Amino acid sequence: MSQRILPARPVLAGVAVLTALALAACGTTEAPAESAAPGASSEAVTLTDARGVEVEIPAEVEDVVALEWAAVEHLQVAGVPPVGVADVAGYTDWSGTGAPLEGEPTDVGTRIEPSIDAIAGLAPDLIVTVLGADDAAYADLEAIAPVLVLQGADAADPIGTMYADLRLVGEAVGGQDAVETAITAYEAHVEELSATVEEAGLTGTPLAHMDGYENGGQVEIRPYADGALLPAAFESIGFVNGWPGEGDAQYGLGVTDVEGLTALEEGTHIVYMTVGERDVFTQQLASNAIYTELPTVQAGNVHRLPDGIWLFGGVESMTAYLDALVAALSPAP
Amino acid sequence: MTRIRPGGLALGAALLVGLVALSGWHATQGTTDLGLQELLGWLGGDASHASVIVESRLPRIAAAIVVGLALGAAGYAMQTLTGNPLASPDTLAVNGGASAAIAIAAVAGISLPGIGGAGIAFVGGLIAALAVVAIGRGRGSTTQMVLIGTALALALQSVTTVTIILNEQETAGLYAWGVGRLSQNGIDTVAQLLPIVLVGIAVLLVLARRLDVLALGEEAATTIGVGVGRLRLGTLIASVALAAAAVAIAGPIGFVGLAAPIVIRMVARRIPGAARHVVAIPLAALAGAVLVVGADVLLRAALPGTASLDVPTGVVTSLVGAVCIIVLARTMAGAAETESMSVLGARTIAKHAWLPIVIAAVVLTAMTVAAVLLGDRLLLLGDVVNWLAGRAGDAVRVTLDTRTPRVAAAVLAGVALALSGALVQAVARNALAEPYLLGVAGGAGLGAVSIITLVPVAAGWLVAGSALAGGAIAGVLVLVLVGWRRLGSLRLVLTGLALSAATAALTSMLIVITDPWNRGKAIVWLSGSTYGRGFEDVLPVAIAVVLSLLALTWMHRDLDLAQLDEATPRLLGVRLTAVQIIALAIAVVLASTAVAAIGVVAFVGLVAPHAARAIVGARHRVLLPLAALLGGSLTLMADTLGRTLIAPAQLPAGIMTALVGIPYFIWLVLQAGRSR
Repeated sequence: MSQRILPARPVLAGVAVLTALALAACGTTEAPAESAAPGASSEAVTLTDARGVEVEIPAEVEDVVALEWAAVEHLQVAGVPPVGVADVAGYTDWSGTGAPLEGEPTDVGTRIEPSIDAIAGLAPDLIVTVLGADDAAYADLEAIAPVLVLQGADAADPIGTMYADLRLVGEAVGGQDAVETAITAYEAHVEELSATVEEAGLTGTPLAHMDGYENGGQVEIRPYADGALLPAAFESIGFVNGWPGEGDAQYGLGVTDVEGLTALEEGTHIVYMTVGERDVFTQQLASNAIYTELPTVQAGNVHRLPDGIWLFGGVESMTAYLDALVAALSPAP
Repeated sequence: MTRIRPGGLALGAALLVGLVALSGWHATQGTTDLGLQELLGWLGGDASHASVIVESRLPRIAAAIVVGLALGAAGYAMQTLTGNPLASPDTLAVNGGASAAIAIAAVAGISLPGIGGAGIAFVGGLIAALAVVAIGRGRGSTTQMVLIGTALALALQSVTTVTIILNEQETAGLYAWGVGRLSQNGIDTVAQLLPIVLVGIAVLLVLARRLDVLALGEEAATTIGVGVGRLRLGTLIASVALAAAAVAIAGPIGFVGLAAPIVIRMVARRIPGAARHVVAIPLAALAGAVLVVGADVLLRAALPGTASLDVPTGVVTSLVGAVCIIVLARTMAGAAETESMSVLGARTIAKHAWLPIVIAAVVLTAMTVAAVLLGDRLLLLGDVVNWLAGRAGDAVRVTLDTRTPRVAAAVLAGVALALSGALVQAVARNALAEPYLLGVAGGAGLGAVSIITLVPVAAGWLVAGSALAGGAIAGVLVLVLVGWRRLGSLRLVLTGLALSAATAALTSMLIVITDPWNRGKAIVWLSGSTYGRGFEDVLPVAIAVVLSLLALTWMHRDLDLAQLDEATPRLLGVRLTAVQIIALAIAVVLASTAVAAIGVVAFVGLVAPHAARAIVGARHRVLLPLAALLGGSLTLMADTLGRTLIAPAQLPAGIMTALVGIPYFIWLVLQAGRSR
């Protein structure tokens, strides 16, 4: 430190630098005030979303941003693939097989904290998301475009909720016909699969779909209980849910540990899905006597489904899921 | 052989009986209806439930016992080693290192064949502890090592949080693991790590006699001819290995390594011969085991079946441990002695106080402008002018509408936390006092999270109000527990740390119970995020800052006197108690409204006042403005980086303040050590 600091010099230097910066940062990134009143509101639709909020949606919706993966799929089914998607890489890994991404949507950040800047930059006509965020986050989004919040899941009526969400999206983007076609196709496919299951003599087979997680050598099992979408879907083609426990009120998910698996009845098939190398059922549990001594495991009734089917998705994901399920359980022809 | 007196033996026997009884009870608890009868049947040769008992119940008991033994022994040795009752596996960053390693491995898809996740945790914990030792080596007091360890633990925790936020799908379940739980996948993990635990405890017992001498003081030990350097190294390696083994088995089971040894130290002092390490280390190990098994039994008794799976055991041990520490801090010898915070501020860096303040103000202004322009979408000044004039296009309007309140929230919360920290330090005359370390921020966080999780539509004022209530309760609790005249003492920091841990545990529990499938929101909130903040959320903290600045211009001279000692202000006719109460009340209001605005942000309240004191000295007329400017700048920089670095994804500001503030904090601690 010098004996005496000349006070003026650093301040002046700072001011100079600031001025330079300020000059460099001048200008604008857009032409001011594009007074684009989005669409004549004569054809606008007003829909009540899962929050109970009345959402006014302009006619001719073109650019939509989806902040949850189920919403992405619903939009694609309705014929308006989103231009912005939260966590594109995650979608590709976890949903890409069941409902491949259409087009090349912009990544708008994480599903927890999607980037307002990125969404605003896309200037969407509509934002579709699923219940879970707080009001402050919705308020920020609503400044950009109308926000349609889907229910996502409801253990009281999982399939009905899936249809309702899809139809809501269809109405919002003017894709009612496409949506009804998809639902009819899905139900027809369910009929076909029921017949296949029946022919294969599998009707009434108990299934237990579960996720397995490993952290630091510890194993956590999350079974899909009654009320979850997956059991509802596979019950519609003739299987029954072999997991006796209870789940939460929205997603119907339960929790248990390896010891809890002894609750599975004999003859139950365990079904699971994961992504990549992390496979609790073939790795961590392979050396666990409780697991290996389960009648289900002894009988070889454990099935891993293909990667990339979103288990909380819509009709396309469920179609892929049921196809994979039937393929896994049917004896090879 | 050391003569063991009956007192120590009796205590050991009592602990052992307690442990056996608890273990027996523990064996009858689980996620299936398999109780005492089946257990007795199995002992009698009935094999029908063998797999559950052998692969689930017994491993869990074994895990609880081994983890408790390891943590108890390691904690006791670490405390002797550092001559500091605060030292424990938690404060050497072992847990933080293990969590970060597990999180990174989960995301990178790394799995070590053979040793698996437990091995990764072990290696991570070991590396972190060694880093703490390497950074703090040979620099003055060992309290420094504890401070550095605590800071590094926070930094590593931030790393874990980042990976959870960015990889929600891959890290499901990691949050609960990170709070510490005992569920086991067979006996393998425990069996693999048991040798390390046994060897570690054996090494400590071999070193026990020399540790007795070391406990008398380093000089005494050197005089007698004990190789202090080698003794230190051996004890450290053994205890870190023990702690790393524990975290590998069960995740970070908090506070056992701190509470169990303290209990034994307290009790052993009254029993002749029991304070010798050869007796005390096994006693501490047993106490640790009783604590862990007891906590797990308590948890499973209160929440039978699968309900207990949602509430990790670490939550319970943290609560039990926190109560232990608070009780013991009141009775511990030496904890009540006050020390003056003379470390910094004796020599100032700047000759003229106004110059750094002007520079800091210019910097903060420049940063504010930059923060408004920077982000996922880069704007230019012309955009801002258009926006101010109300003629910006939609994208710019929306971007600035949401970005400016976030910038305001970051600046104001930073200012509030810095002022709060400066006030607490002045009143407590304690260099480590700050709203976060004192549990005030934790209490405010708990209050806010309660409202957020219980009332889905909680608005800004409601959240701020409950944060204020939580912070005030925590503040009053600390005052009552510590005692008005003991604010400058180690007791204050101990009680505050315990309260911080307890509120963090309760907050985690609240999140895990109320929102098991959507914890992202709460995790982000807890790490201090400005996401989704509007001007209405910022208003409470803005009002708090303005009002306290007014109050402080009026009372800054009293604070100058209050920070000196007890006697001087009274001699000069200052009503010290009134000044202290008002200052603390202001500090609580500032910290709580800041927490309500951006969540629990650590280190700003500590770092900013320290830096200000180092630059312009301890006069509050200049200290407070500079601390406020520095706090605002730090938080704003953290928020801006969090919004910009990995856009369109973003990181909470609190994580960035930890990552930015911690290197500075460590430097500060080392600096203070050098000047001593």
